[in-house]
Order: sequence, then C-alpha cells, then structure tokens
Amino acid sequence: MKRLFEQDQPIVDKRYLIGSLIITLITCGLLTRLWYVQIYKGDFYSKISQRNRIRRIEIPAPRGKIYDRHGELILGNRPYFDLVYIPQYIKDKETTFQILSNLLNTSTEQFEKRLRKGRGRPKFLPITLKKNLSLHELSVIESNKVLLPGIEVRVAPRREYPEKIPPHLIGYLREIDSKSLKRLNKKDDSSPYYQGDLIGKQGLEAKYEKYLRGKRGYELIQVDAYGRQTSSLNDWNFPKEPAIPGADIVLTLDWELQKAVTSYFSGKQGAIVVLDPNNGEILAAVSAPGFNPKTMQTGVSFDEWRRLTQNPFKPFLDKTTGGEFPPGSIYKPVVAMAALEEGIITPKTTFNCPGHFTLGRETFYCHNRGGHGKVDLRKAMMNSCDTYFYQIGVELGVDKIARYASSLGLGKRLGVNLNMERPGLVPTSTWKKLIHKHKWTAGDTPNISIGQGYNLLTPMQMANLYSTIANNGKTWKPRIIKRITNHIGETLLEGIPEQIQKEKIISDSNLALMRDILKDVVMHPKGTGKKAAVEGHSVAGKTGSVQVVSLKKNRNQTDVSIKWKEHAIFGAFSPVENAEIAIAIVSQNDSVGGGGRAAAPIAAKIIKKYWDLKQQRAQKKANSELAKIKREKSNVLK
Amino acid sequence: MFSSKRTSRGIFPTAHSSLDKQTSPLLKALLMIMGLLVFMGFVNLYSASSGGHYFWAQLRNSTITLSAFVICGWFIPIKRIQENAYLIAAAICSVLLVVLLLGKIAGGAKRWISLGPIGFQPSEFAKLTVAIVVAKFIASHKQKGSYTIRDLLPLATTIGCIFVLIFLQPDFGTAGMCLIIAVSQLAFLRINEKSVAIILLSVPVAGVTLWHVLLRPYQKQRVLNLLNPDLDPQNTGYNSLQSLVAIGSGETFGKGFMQGTQAHLKFLPERHTDFAFSVLAEEHGFIGGALVFFLFAALAILALNVSRQAKDTFSKMLAIGIAAFLFFEFTINVSMVLGIFPVVGLPLPFFSYGSSLLLTICVALGLLVSIMRTSNR
Repeated sequence: MKRLFEQDQPIVDKRYLIGSLIITLITCGLLTRLWYVQIYKGDFYSKISQRNRIRRIEIPAPRGKIYDRHGELILGNRPYFDLVYIPQYIKDKETTFQILSNLLNTSTEQFEKRLRKGRGRPKFLPITLKKNLSLHELSVIESNKVLLPGIEVRVAPRREYPEKIPPHLIGYLREIDSKSLKRLNKKDDSSPYYQGDLIGKQGLEAKYEKYLRGKRGYELIQVDAYGRQTSSLNDWNFPKEPAIPGADIVLTLDWELQKAVTSYFSGKQGAIVVLDPNNGEILAAVSAPGFNPKTMQTGVSFDEWRRLTQNPFKPFLDKTTGGEFPPGSIYKPVVAMAALEEGIITPKTTFNCPGHFTLGRETFYCHNRGGHGKVDLRKAMMNSCDTYFYQIGVELGVDKIARYASSLGLGKRLGVNLNMERPGLVPTSTWKKLIHKHKWTAGDTPNISIGQGYNLLTPMQMANLYSTIANNGKTWKPRIIKRITNHIGETLLEGIPEQIQKEKIISDSNLALMRDILKDVVMHPKGTGKKAAVEGHSVAGKTGSVQVVSLKKNRNQTDVSIKWKEHAIFGAFSPVENAEIAIAIVSQNDSVGGGGRAAAPIAAKIIKKYWDLKQQRAQKKANSELAKIKREKSNVLK
Repeated sequence: MFSSKRTSRGIFPTAHSSLDKQTSPLLKALLMIMGLLVFMGFVNLYSASSGGHYFWAQLRNSTITLSAFVICGWFIPIKRIQENAYLIAAAICSVLLVVLLLGKIAGGAKRWISLGPIGFQPSEFAKLTVAIVVAKFIASHKQKGSYTIRDLLPLATTIGCIFVLIFLQPDFGTAGMCLIIAVSQLAFLRINEKSVAIILLSVPVAGVTLWHVLLRPYQKQRVLNLLNPDLDPQNTGYNSLQSLVAIGSGETFGKGFMQGTQAHLKFLPERHTDFAFSVLAEEHGFIGGALVFFLFAALAILALNVSRQAKDTFSKMLAIGIAAFLFFEFTINVSMVLGIFPVVGLPLPFFSYGSSLLLTICVALGLLVSIMRTSNR
C-alpha cells in the first residue's frame, strides 16, 4: 500500500539523504569557521578586545571650490583643527573636562553643552568640543595627550573666505539643525549628515549643497593605549574609504570685476547687477549691506545677530533678486517703445512741457518745475522730462504699457535659481481691481509712466531690461552657473543660455532707435547721464531718481535725514551696438544725489573697469602667446 | 496502521482524539530542541539588551507566539492549510502591497505596519507563505515525469510577485530568502535537466548584465546599500570587525553570562537583532556556539524526517520548506556574523528580537507538529 502511494509522489526519496548531507556539511563548515575565529585566532581577538585598539576615523570631505569664469579661485578650503571627544574611549569625563578647561581657558559648561548635542549617537563617533583650534591650543592639547584619553584632534577642511566675497551670492555655512538633519537623511541616506556637520545656507552654498558637499570617508586604524596610531598588523585588511571631495562650481562671474564693483559701491546700500547681454550670464552681482560669512561659520554672537537682523537696510537680503524698487525714470524707455509701437508717437512728435501736466482736476509735476519747453522723444529722454511721458502714458493707458513691459520680461520672476526672487510688479487695471478692490483711474497712469506709483522692479530685472534693449529684444534668463565638475573632472551640469520671452512685439527699428537715444542720454553733453560717459567707449543709459518721500524737488538734499533721501538708479549698456555688458545700479537713499549725480559715476567706473580688464587680459594672452612662440623657436634652433 | 477513527470535520477536533495518540519520539525531540532554542534565545536576549526593554517585549510577544504554536500544532489540521493556501498567498500579497504603498507615501523604506501594540512585518510571513504556496502547487500538479519550466511557470510567477513586492520595500535579504526556500523545495522534485541547465545559465548572465547596465558608481552603491538596508553602509566594516572581535574573544568557554560586550557590542547597534549570535559566542564561547549549530542542524534534519514520514505531498513539501526556512535563515545570519557573507540584515530565529519573526517560526513549527500528528494516524 505504501509503495503504491509513493509512486504518486513527485518527490524523489533519495533527495532526503542528500538534503541531510548538505545540512551536515554546511554546519560543519560553519563550525570550522567558528573554530578558526574562536580557537585558532581566539587569543589574537582576545587581546584586541582587552585593549580597545580599534579607532574609527571619519575623513571629512573638502567642499567643492568655487571659481570665476576665468578660472580664478573665489572660494576654497583650508584645514582647521577641531577638538573632539570620543565617548567610547573616555575614562573619566569629569577629570578630562577639568583638564581641558584649564588648558584651553574654557568653562566645562561649554563642553557639557556640546556633549548634550551629540547624545544618542553611536559611542565611537566623535563629538566636537571646540572648533578651529589655534596653533597654540593645538600644541597644548597634543603635548598633554597622555592625560586626555578619548580626546583627539581631528583635521577638517573648512571654507577660507577672501575679502570682498559677495556673501549673499556665495552664501555661508552653519551647523545643521536636527530637523533638517532628519529630513535630509530620510530623503537620501547614502551619505548621511551627522550632528555637527556644516550645511550651506543662502546662495550657492545652499542651492548647490548637494554638489558642493562631497562625501565623507572613513578609515579604521589601530592605536596604542594613548590613542596614538600604531602601524597596522598585516592580518587586518582594514576597510578604508577615501573621502570624495565636493564638485567644483565655475561661475559666470568675473571676480576682478566683482571685487571692483564692490569697492565702487562701498558705503552705499542697494544692489548692482552686471550682465552679459549676449547670453544672460551674470558678470557681477553686489547687494549691500552684507554680512561676514566667516563669522557666521564660527558662530555669531547674540548682539551681532541682533544688530544684523534689526538693521533696516536688511543685510541678509539679497537685493539683486529679493529687493523690489520703483524703477523711476529708467522705466521711461519701456513707455517710449510702447508708444512708438502703438503709433501714438513718432520720433518727431513733440509736446510742450511747462513744468507740469494737468489731468482733469489733478496736476502732475515735471522734475524741472520751470519746464523743458517743446520736447521731442530724444530731448525728453535726454532731459528725463516727466511731462512728455505723462502725456504719452495717459494716451497709452496702463494695460498697454503693461503689455510691453511684460514682453520685456518684467512683472514676473526671471527664474534666477539662487536666492529668494521677487517678481516685481507691473500694474494692470485687473491687478488693481483684484488687489486694491478699486478701479484703475486715469490719475493712476501718469505715475506709472515715469516709473513710480505701483511699479516695482528688482535690480536683476532692471539689468535684464537694459540687456534686452541692448541685444535687440532677447530676454535671457540671468545665469550664474557656467559649469559644475566633479572631482574626477566629469561635467555634472553645464549652464546654457535660455530665453525667457520668445515672442517679440517691439520692432528692431524701434529698439535700435531707443539704443541711439539712450546713447545721447550719456554721451551728449546735455544728457542727464553724462557722468556715466567713459573715454574711448560708447555707453548708453538712463538715469532714475526715485522719490521715497514727496519733497519739493528743488529743495536742498542735505538737510533731509537719510531714510527720506531718494534712491539713485541707473541702467546702462556698453558699447551701444553689440553691447558686451549691461548694468543696473540701485543706490538706496543715496546722500550724494539722484541717478545722474550718484549712480551714473559708478556706472562709468564699472564700464571703464570692464574695458580695462578686457584689454589687460588680451595683452596678457598676447604676451604669453609671444613667449610661447619664442620658446618654440629657440627650441627648434637648438 | 489502519485506523477506524475518523477525524472530525470541524477546525477544532475534539480534545480526546489527540490524547488517544502516543506522542511520537520525533515530536518529543522537536519539542525538546525548540524548547532549548527558545530558552537560549531568551537568555541571550536578556544579556544583549542588558536586561532591558527588548527582553521584556519579547517575553510579552512569546505569549502570543507560543499560543499560535499550540493552536497550529494541535488544533489546525494540515488539510485546512492546503485548502486555503492560495487565499493565504493572496492575503499576504495584499498586505505587502499595502506596506509598499504606505512606504511610498511616507517617503521612506517601510517594512512593517502596526497592529495595535505589535509591529507586524508581513515579509516574515511571506517566507512561510512561499513554502505553503509551493507545497500547494506541487500537490495539485502531481506528475509522473520531470517538471519543466513550463510546468512550473505559474508557480514561478506567483513566487516572483512575492519576491518583487518584498524586494521593493526594499528588503533584499528577505526577498532572497523566499527564493531560497522555494528552490530548496523544488530541489526535491524531478526537474527536467534542460530546464535546470537553462536556469543555472540564465541567472548569472542576467545578474552580470544587470550589474553592468547599472554601471554608474552611485547606483552600484545603491544596490550594495540594498544588501544592507538597516545598517549604515559606512559602519559595515566596523560592525563586522567588532562582531569578529567579540566572537573571537569568547574563545573556548566564553566570558560568562552578561560578561561580554562591555567594550564591543555595546556599540554595535544591532546586537539584539542581526548580531545576536555574536553576543552568545562571546559569552558562551565555542561550546555555546557549537551547541546552537547542532540544535539548528538537528531541527532541520528533524523537519526533513517529518517530511519523509508524511503521507501526502502537500505535507511533505511544506515540511521541506519549513526545514529550508529555519536552516538557511540560521546559516546566512551566522555566516554574516562570522564575516564570511555580506551583511544582508537577516535575523537569527529564536535569538533575534522581533515579534513577526518569532510568530512565523512558531506557526511554522506548529504546522510541523500538525503534519507529524496527521501522519501518525
């Protein structure tokens, strides 16, 4: 009966024996390994276990460096020494802290505080007690190492900040907080953050943290009773993983130009943006006031922090994209081009400026109360006659102006992927209804036409506007990244020019006309922008003086407190045709004067510097080429 | 051999019919081995958790798990399992799917869901489910000749689904274990040589091409990370090293109960789970370690014997699956801990803390008892 039953079974009976044999064999194999580890090498392991001789060292990764477009180093690293505490090897915490306190002149409470931060981590991971030891402190610790088991000095690469570094653009580093730590480690645990790690805040350090960060390595070493490394025995194949340095970023920035712009703007507050009109690359970007990223990294005092956050000029704000300002008269080209396109004026159309403009029951004043007399477009722009623009603005109406402004990329974010970017404001009748719950009245339009009223632009948008006029209508997305390469030279990211606005509604001829008129604003002896002229090069531009508080224009500027002073604004590009740079300057509450008096001279300096640098570099290149040819010649002759 | 008694049709046979039988020596042996392993496991856990939380939690769990063992062993005839095999499989698959979806929503790796006070890890039960499904399939598809790939295709697809659902959690270790169990069961059948050859050739080829397709270093790292889902990959070297030091320093007789690990495994984060054996080896030495090895081997061979003595195909195949489950789980974990296998995060039955694992083992052993009792009639 049984046998019949078994014939139906698909199971092969012999396999049971094989199975049992396999089980036995594997078990014997494991037993052999166990014997090897416990009996054969038992003594060896036992010794190690008694003396705790294995240390795990984290090898920190240096952050990626930041270069300018010519390959000059802007931000690099330099080794710092940190004092660390390894719980696993500490013999007596109280004594150790006491000794440290005496040696370093720091209270034990400081150490306790740092220790609490590192709670809950595996005990072989070090906790940083003090960062950036001075050489003196370093030598003191090293010479007393015998008294400090479990205390070690670890080398870590940290940022080295040169002078004049743009803090908003580059950003700074701070210790990561526990919330961000959990969030980031959950997202990607292949390279986790540890408590005490630095993470980028603001600017490039933050936006490109993933690239710049690199990956820490580790190695296991054998140490003696005092924690000093001994040579490793051959028996061990200590696993070691080298640190991977962060990826390097090459910026579109011109470091020499950037430094120059920073010094030209010293003592002022606001922002300056310099763009390349051919592709939207950012050549320089300054926002003032700023802060010192070095102190942010080491730890800023409470008073300093309070001072920074309470400063009404907002040192932490990156005003190039995060500051919105009424553009003032630099907006006039927008209105002018709108009027030309709509056929409301021709270059020859004239209006009379008696010093004011009446609309219904309201009167709007020209900045020159005496009036400019009969003005055509060119003269109106050169003298920045408000009346002319009130006239054409009212005829256009706010929505038409808005349409042309939008086509030039204004009123919305440009998509500069760096710090907080505000969209600016190009008012329309719909907008006013929605936000202010009132209809647009005719009396609202004159202010818009001269760039005041509800209008708001960021300095980046202002520079982009002039760049668009300069390059015949192409609105580029301003870009700061040229390239990101990893530590083995592979390109991870390549910056490519991107046009924002595809549709062009302003004709080439009108754009060319505007360029020519703007040239006269600067290069004609009577133009308001004459202070921006640079010898040997053509410059086009427009001044703007934005009233913060309504003052009688002819009143003396010096007896007004600083927060009521005008913003001095200037937009420019050079050369007039085939421009190579476009600039926007916003000097908040400038005590020197308005756009013509305060901002234009700065533009002149910047443009001059640009050309000087270009010439210098060309000269240098020519010289090195010449030297190379000479060398080759002499080699041939040999 | 012929019994005129009939088992009652209900799920719970009346008590007196079980008392009628003489407890077979095999059953006695099983209960003894199981008892020893459970006891040693608890003692070890006490030390590994320093008399703390995990020990007491496991003790609380054991009330449920041991009841499950008794219920499966004495109150569930194996035929019930056979009848509901595919239902069980479907249930496990849906739970796995739920876990996967919950994990995607939570944005992280998720392997368990909480059912009241107990965390429930369905992938553990999946291992047993695989054994059940294979047994059911073979029992329903008995054939005289050898099995070809085509014959086994529906089975392979089902196992494949379970594998993928677990693999994506991600939990490569448990997924692999499911495969091992299925393969072990099938190894007892006549398989067409050609089919065997095809499988043996295609697996390494698939593996190699996959490796080279995922050539980017960070992706390779990801795959390697998949192998150690719970452990920080950077700690791996350190953990294995410390494990070896701990085990080695146990030497022949060990350091004594609770005397080990002050310097070492106190810093190993997983000593109450993956590295539980290291604790035992350090404290009880080679003697203790070898005893555990012997117990597991005996348990596996015992299960094979149960399989041999069983009468119906389903019971036989299931018993083989249970043997494979217990033995290979033990083998891989111990190899991991001894540094001869990559760390894949597989726990050690009886010793590692974990309610789902313990429950699965108790259910598995319970089913083994049920098989034994059925074949005794």
